[in-house]
This record gives sequence, C-alpha cells and structure tokens, in this order.
Amino acid sequence: MTVLGYMANGLVFSSIIVLGSIGLSLVYSIADFANFAHGDTMTIGAYTALVTFGAVGGLGGAVLGLPFGFFVALVVGIGVAAVVAVATEKLIYEPLDIDSIGLLITSIGIAFIYRALIQIGFGSDFTRFDVQQLRPIESLVPYGVRVTLHDVAIVASAVVLVVGLHVLLQYTDLGRKMRAMADNPDLARVSGIRTKRVKLWTWVIGAGLAGAGGVFLGLFNQLSPRMGFNLLLVIFAAVILGGIGSVYGAMAGGFLIGMITQLTPFFSNVVEALPIGPGWLATLLENLITIEYANAIAFVIMVVVLLVRPNGIAGEGAT
Amino acid sequence: MSLLDDPRATFADLTRPEGWVLGVSVAFALFLLVAMLTGALGPTYFLFLVGLAGMYALLSFGLNAQWGFTGLINFSVAAFFGIGAYGSALMTASSSPIAGGFNPLVGLVVALVVALVLALLIGIPTLRLRTDYLAIASLGLAEVVRLVVLNERWLTNGSAGVRGIPGFFQGWPVLSTFPEAMPGLRLVVIPGSPIILGTSFWQSLLNVLLVLAFAGVTFFVLRRAHQSPWGRVLRTIRSDEDLARALGKNTYSFKMQSFILGSLIMALAGVFYTHLNLYVGPGDLDPITTFYAWVAVILGGSGSNRGALFGGIVIVTIREGTRFLNDVALPIDPAPMRLLLIGVVIVAVMRYRPQGVLPPQRELIWPSAVDGRATPETPDSGVRERKGGGGDE
Repeated sequence: MTVLGYMANGLVFSSIIVLGSIGLSLVYSIADFANFAHGDTMTIGAYTALVTFGAVGGLGGAVLGLPFGFFVALVVGIGVAAVVAVATEKLIYEPLDIDSIGLLITSIGIAFIYRALIQIGFGSDFTRFDVQQLRPIESLVPYGVRVTLHDVAIVASAVVLVVGLHVLLQYTDLGRKMRAMADNPDLARVSGIRTKRVKLWTWVIGAGLAGAGGVFLGLFNQLSPRMGFNLLLVIFAAVILGGIGSVYGAMAGGFLIGMITQLTPFFSNVVEALPIGPGWLATLLENLITIEYANAIAFVIMVVVLLVRPNGIAGEGAT
Repeated sequence: MSLLDDPRATFADLTRPEGWVLGVSVAFALFLLVAMLTGALGPTYFLFLVGLAGMYALLSFGLNAQWGFTGLINFSVAAFFGIGAYGSALMTASSSPIAGGFNPLVGLVVALVVALVLALLIGIPTLRLRTDYLAIASLGLAEVVRLVVLNERWLTNGSAGVRGIPGFFQGWPVLSTFPEAMPGLRLVVIPGSPIILGTSFWQSLLNVLLVLAFAGVTFFVLRRAHQSPWGRVLRTIRSDEDLARALGKNTYSFKMQSFILGSLIMALAGVFYTHLNLYVGPGDLDPITTFYAWVAVILGGSGSNRGALFGGIVIVTIREGTRFLNDVALPIDPAPMRLLLIGVVIVAVMRYRPQGVLPPQRELIWPSAVDGRATPETPDSGVRERKGGGGDE
C-alpha cells in the first residue's frame, strides 16, 4: 500500500475514534469523571444495530452500499446507547455519594455489567453485520487506496455528526449551557442553569455518538463483546492528547491517534528504509514500530502527553 | 485483645460487620468441609482453591499497599503479576526460550528484580500525575507490557506461553521429594466414599504452606508498615497530599516507595501462581486480573489488610463458583457470569458501602491504645532522642 492508502485507512479509523472520544471528553468535563464504561457503550450501540438490522432487513434501496435498513439500525443503535447511558446515570451514578475516583471505579463495574450481558446474550464470538462485503472502489485502486463505499459512508456519517455537534455547541442554548458547565459547574449553577438537565443531555449526546462509533466500528471490523473495551484505551489516548474536556481537542486527538495507529506499518517501512545511526538503534526501532505495537505506540504517546503537556494540544484552557 | 485470654470479650468487641464476616466465613468453611467429607469436593482441588485464595489475597495486599495506604490508583496490577509469573517461569521452566532450568529461588529473585525495574519504569513518569490520569496511564502501560509479552516470541514464547515449570520446592533438600515420600492415605469418613490422599495432595499441601508463608510475612510487614510513622505519612498523602507536602514530606518519594512495595508483593503473587499453575501464558496479563484485585480491595475495605484477605476469598468463590454452577446447574458460560458478578459487586459496594465491608478501624492504632484498660505506654525518652534527631520521617 502507498502512503495515500494508509492515510485513507487512517481517516476511516479516525472517524470512529473521533466519535468515541467526543463523548468521553464531554462526560469527562461535565459529569467530571473518567468513564470507563464508554467503550462498552459503543458495544451496546453496535449490537443494538445488529439486532435491529436483522429485524427490519434492507428496506429496499441503498446509499453508499448500505441498505436503508442499516441507517434505521444506526439510528436505533444511537438511541438505545443514549437511553442505556441515561438510565445508568439515573439509577447508578446520580444516587452515589462519592468523589470522582469512586465514580471512576463504579464505571468499571458498569462496563463489566454491560459487556457480560452482551456476552450472555450473543456469545463471545465475532459476528458481522449482514451487509454485502464490497470490493474497493475501482477508480482509487491505482493510487494504492483500497477503500470501500462503506468506508466512505463511515467518514461521511461521522462528518455529519461532528458538524451537527459543532452547530449544537456553538449556536444553541443547550450548547452554550454545556460549555458553561464544562467551564465552571458552580458558576453555571448559580447563573440559573439547570445543571442536572444539562448533565442528562450530555449523557445523551456522548453515549449517542459512542453508539454511532460502535456501529461503524462493527462495520469497519467485526462485532465482539470486547470490541468497545479494547478500543477504550485508544480513545482515552485521543482524549488526553486533545486535552481532557475539550470537545475540539478530542476531535483533533481522535484524528491524530487514528492516523498514527493506522500509519504504523508505513512508519515501519520508513524506519527500515532510513539509514539510522548505530545498528542496534535501527534494529530496536524496526522491532518496536510494527503493526503489533500500533496500540502500544498510542498508549506511550498518551503517557508522554500527560507528562509534558497535561492539558493536551488544545492549549491551556482545557475546556 | 487476645482470643485466648478472654474469648467472650473478644467476640463482644467485634463490630457488626466483623461479626457478619466471621459468621459467613465460618459457615462457608463448614460448608466446604462437609462437601469435602462427602466427597463432593476433592481435597486436592480444595487445597488448590486455598492456594488460589492466598494468591489473590497476596495480590490484594500489594494493591492495598498502593491504593489503600497511599491512594495510588494503579491499574497495572496485571502487569506486575504477569511479570512476576513470567520472570520465574522463564528462569525455571524446561521449555523456556531463554535461560531456563534454574532453581526456583533464582526465579523468585529474578522476578522481584524485574518487577522492581518495571515499577521504576512505570512509576517514575506516572506518579507525578493527577489520580485519574494515573489510572488511565497505568492501564495503558500495563497494556504495553501485555503486548510486549505477547509479541516478543524470542523472549516469552509468545501466545503459546511457557510450560514445563517445576514446583517451587524443586531442588530443595527434603521438600522436593516430600510428596513422593509421603504415603498415600485413605480416609473413610462416610462408609462407601473413601478420600484418597496421594502425591498430588501432598504437593498441593506444600503449595498452600508456601502461599501461607508468603502471605503471612507480607501481612505482618504491611501491618507493621501501616502503623509505623512511614505508614502515617502515606495515609496523610492519601487524604490530603498538599497537607503532606506542607509538612515537609517529599510526597513523590513516599509514593514511589509505596508503589514499589506494592508492585513487589504483586510480583510475589505472580511467582507463586507460576508454581501453582505450572503454566504461564499472555492471558494472565489480561486486565481482568487487575480488576479482580481491585474488587478484592474495595470490597474488603480500602486500607484494610484483613479486608484484602476477605476480598481474596470472595474472588476465588466468584471465579470457581461460576465454573461449579456451570457444571452443575446453569448452562451459562462461566466467563460472562464472572464478569457480571464482578461488575455487580463493584457497583453494589460503591453504592451501599463505599468504605468496604471491613474498613480499617482499630488496625490503624497501636493495640495498647485501644484496649482501654491500660493507658498507652509512655515512652521513656523523647521521640527525637530515640531517633537521633535524623531521618526524613
């Protein structure tokens, strides 16, 4: 594959990471804890879409290689992920009287419960959406870019959702309230913002985007009960790289981390081609920059960012 | 205080949760005993379970030294456990891709040294971070360790794991041949279902003694450390790090010491696991091990070593009980059941008893101070004189 090919893959994967990281970042800043159940919320979205799509079928026509029924399934997946998250907030998180560390630990328990229920219901094997596998788009293959129409659909839908979120945050009342709350919850509250309601909306938006990310992840790879949890740390890396609490930072971080993980094979080619100083260094780099370590590289970047620039690339504001 | 001096007063002294835990534990022990006598539970398997419970208790002690004492959110328990297990397995196993064939004691030392190095590697960058960042960063680094173990085949044999590990007492004077030397016993408690105690039973018995030794030493070291001035500084850091710093403590250094102490204990648990299970694979570094230890600690009560012991037993009950249920009653895959139970326990504890079942109360105070009968002994000389005015406590 060429650079362009890897970058195209990176773009598709980034779209999924961005969808996940926005929600995680929103919840981090407004509900004020690191939600370890976020990855499993994605899994919920994916499996809901699987069930819905199986029930409604194709519904006739198709857009970008995806039947209409799939988009219905996508919407249902988003909805169910949001409803589950709101129910969890209402039933579990809200009555708790503990600090953000306690909430963090609780969210791990929630993550396990989500995953266990899905595994009991669907088994632990890999499954796929029942859509036809497409061949790469012919006209792009000469450039070394092997993307299918499904990949285009993923990127396009992600762009629509992200633009929608941008409009919501910048131009609506709810968006302003959310930004105010992320900035300073106490100040928001004394200014008369109903913070509880805003928090619920945050869960709806964050979990909904996660659900969409999960559906696309299932379409991009496969579905398995561990899919969300496996991606969780990558999403955390993206959120931290972008700056915790900053939605736009999360978008940038998600984009970068997605690109970096997918470009790892390209980097390994580069390292092999470059004449790097002493032989042992070259061998070491060649061994470490391989596809097996794509995620590990993302995690190391995450730790380095935490150390050097804990507010992330979004700058000092961190909101 | 002592059970022997005044049993009635000791029981009257128990708080309600302590009474409950004691009651449930006794009932559970009786249940296991009956199951064993009736032949439903093989004695060798029972000892394996005891060994496993001891191992989880050890793991929980390690986490307790980090989270319970100092408040460090370490989500890399599995990495230290795995490094301990791999360290000793690679040194002792016959199929080891590197050295192999050494005495298990060498394996123990190597495992602890490697764990120390890893603790420094993970601790130096992450311990300066805010608590929630520490959680995420340590989980990420644990994942890096797991990926390295999985992918560096020349070092770890990759996904196939390491087999051919000897028992811990291999090469010891008497103990190495002890299981074979012991006669096979045949006990008949209930006519018709005799219990046969063979070589494997004595082998397991040795393992249980080993883990009891490990856990016992760790327990007393931690107990002493927790009550010492050093432990008080850690507790201060846990409740208010700025305060500790304002009192002139180098909190980073104290956090590092507590992190290393805990990591070494986790590696010790890993070493024991190697010689209990006789097989080590990359699956042992799965994050679930980390969360098993977490459940044990928060269920037992953060900062409480007794609680960690109790939590360890509960974890084994969940782990093996789901398998048992699957065999006997419900045909549900045990893996998700386990996950579900762990999740429910976490949420339930955080909801209804965030301090844990056995929160540390009197554990933190010198016994002579709580007796009430005698006034606390007064030191003959001032603290400063005794310490020679030095030390950075």
